[in-house]
Amino acid sequence: MRDVVFWLSGAALAFLVTAGAFLLLANLATAPSEKSLNPDRAPGDSGHTLDLQLDRERLASLEPLPDQSLDLAVENEGGEQLSHVNVTLIVSSENTTLSDSRYYRQTVETLPAGGTANVRFEFDLGAPEQPVARPPAPTLEPSREILELRATTPEGNSTIRTVILPP
Amino acid sequence: MLFRVGSATRLAFVVLSATAVFTAGCAHADEEVPIEPLVPAAGRVDPGLGPGTRALSSGPGYKGSPSWSPGGDRIAFTVDGYVVDKPTSSGDLRRWTTTDFIAEDTEWESDDTLMILGAAPPSGGKEISSSLYRTRAGEDKLELESVEKEVSAIGPDREGLIFAFGGGPHESRLALTRGGGKINRLYTRPIRGHVAALSVSPDDEEAVLAVRPPGDRETSGLHEFDLRKGKGREITRLDGNQEILGTPQWTEQGLYFVAGMRGGSVDSDGSEPLYEIYRVPEEGGAPEPAPGVGEDFVAASIRVSPDGKRLAVIGRLDPKSPTNLYVLDPLVEDFTAVTTNEDMEIKTGPDDLAWSPGGKSVAVIARGTLSTEPEVRADPADRLLRDFYNLYEIPVGGTPR
Repeated sequence: MRDVVFWLSGAALAFLVTAGAFLLLANLATAPSEKSLNPDRAPGDSGHTLDLQLDRERLASLEPLPDQSLDLAVENEGGEQLSHVNVTLIVSSENTTLSDSRYYRQTVETLPAGGTANVRFEFDLGAPEQPVARPPAPTLEPSREILELRATTPEGNSTIRTVILPP
Repeated sequence: MLFRVGSATRLAFVVLSATAVFTAGCAHADEEVPIEPLVPAAGRVDPGLGPGTRALSSGPGYKGSPSWSPGGDRIAFTVDGYVVDKPTSSGDLRRWTTTDFIAEDTEWESDDTLMILGAAPPSGGKEISSSLYRTRAGEDKLELESVEKEVSAIGPDREGLIFAFGGGPHESRLALTRGGGKINRLYTRPIRGHVAALSVSPDDEEAVLAVRPPGDRETSGLHEFDLRKGKGREITRLDGNQEILGTPQWTEQGLYFVAGMRGGSVDSDGSEPLYEIYRVPEEGGAPEPAPGVGEDFVAASIRVSPDGKRLAVIGRLDPKSPTNLYVLDPLVEDFTAVTTNEDMEIKTGPDDLAWSPGGKSVAVIARGTLSTEPEVRADPADRLLRDFYNLYEIPVGGTPR
């Protein structure tokens, strides 16, 4: 009886050890792909050091009029203090024949590691004149406004957000 | 007793081993890291247009009238009324016209000559008729040379370009250009009416014309024109308020065109099909709905393949379906969906699709469904794809026979 129990226990242990070894190998094989799942980056987007946070509700409340304002937060997600962080806003039209893009710039002098700076832009979102050179189309629709926000540092850190406003 | 102790030890060992194996098997090798959302499809293509689809443009701008160069290595198109072209394999855009020019259509006459139909913007409310211009690649200076005034339609053939011109509604004339965009042959025999669109047969010997007859409000006449003899004739005329939409196409199985009630819109969400594809034999006769296409299909635009054996069709299976790209094989009456997208808007203008010279892919213009909320992307505007109308090359395979 003892022998039977001994051999049954041994067989069960051998099975479990083998299964465990295979499971460990399977885990080791899949671990690297989890690490490689990083988000794609735009050119000039240097990684996680800088981030721009926008308020969607505020974006939705923008109107095609002069004297609009937009608050955004610039975050330093890195481990070192950043200085002279340039934040630019380019307001342009979906219609590429309109050459009246407007440029605005703010500078954050120092941004500590892990810190956030609030930046406010006051800008003109007035509806541009209707394009002269737009071809006749079956469904001619108004052009949308585009806000391109970019934060950069002299060291080359940068991040970008493009906002497309509904017509 | 010894037996009891030894057995208990072994049992405990087995249980501990099993626990260890179970724990090791289920645990992750590393701590899970939150994954940020992916940025939009910059440089990649929205999968809604099918596997193998390639973006040929990016960024904002109202794009239209794609045209492949005869060699297939460049594609020209209009953007907000000006003309650009670029290699199909890179993003080096070349602009041919300035923003104070309204380009309606553009076609390659040869690998180094681009023909442009357009005009200066209207001033003082006065409408200006379109003219045909030629411009040559490789020249440093941006210069358009006028070829002909009051041009109403252009269409490429294998050796050059055919165009219709004429100022009045009562008659038009045709001409051919060869070699650098110069007029090679001027047809003296006029065509009764205003030629709204035209295209050439696959053997380059005949042309099919959509004509607005004198006194009519609709483009209701379909003409055939023999380019060797310089003679044309009316093949059929639509009844009532029916009009021909876009450019009729000459296939090996007859002439095909899109037609429907005047004033309808291909994007209307009605219960009845608005525009259908019709077929007429070369020898003429009453048009019949194109065989193989479903009776509920709402057609927007068609283009014949370079070998004349297939038709690329943009339209909807029924008025409530999304717009997609289809290919019709008129010989075997096979109608195949090339795209099955639900969330991309494929542009439905008459000139908004083009076959590649080899007949293996079709260029269409599409964008994602417009949002009523602001969209935030992590790419510069000029790299965005689905937020704006952009060109896509969609593989359609070779001729199956």
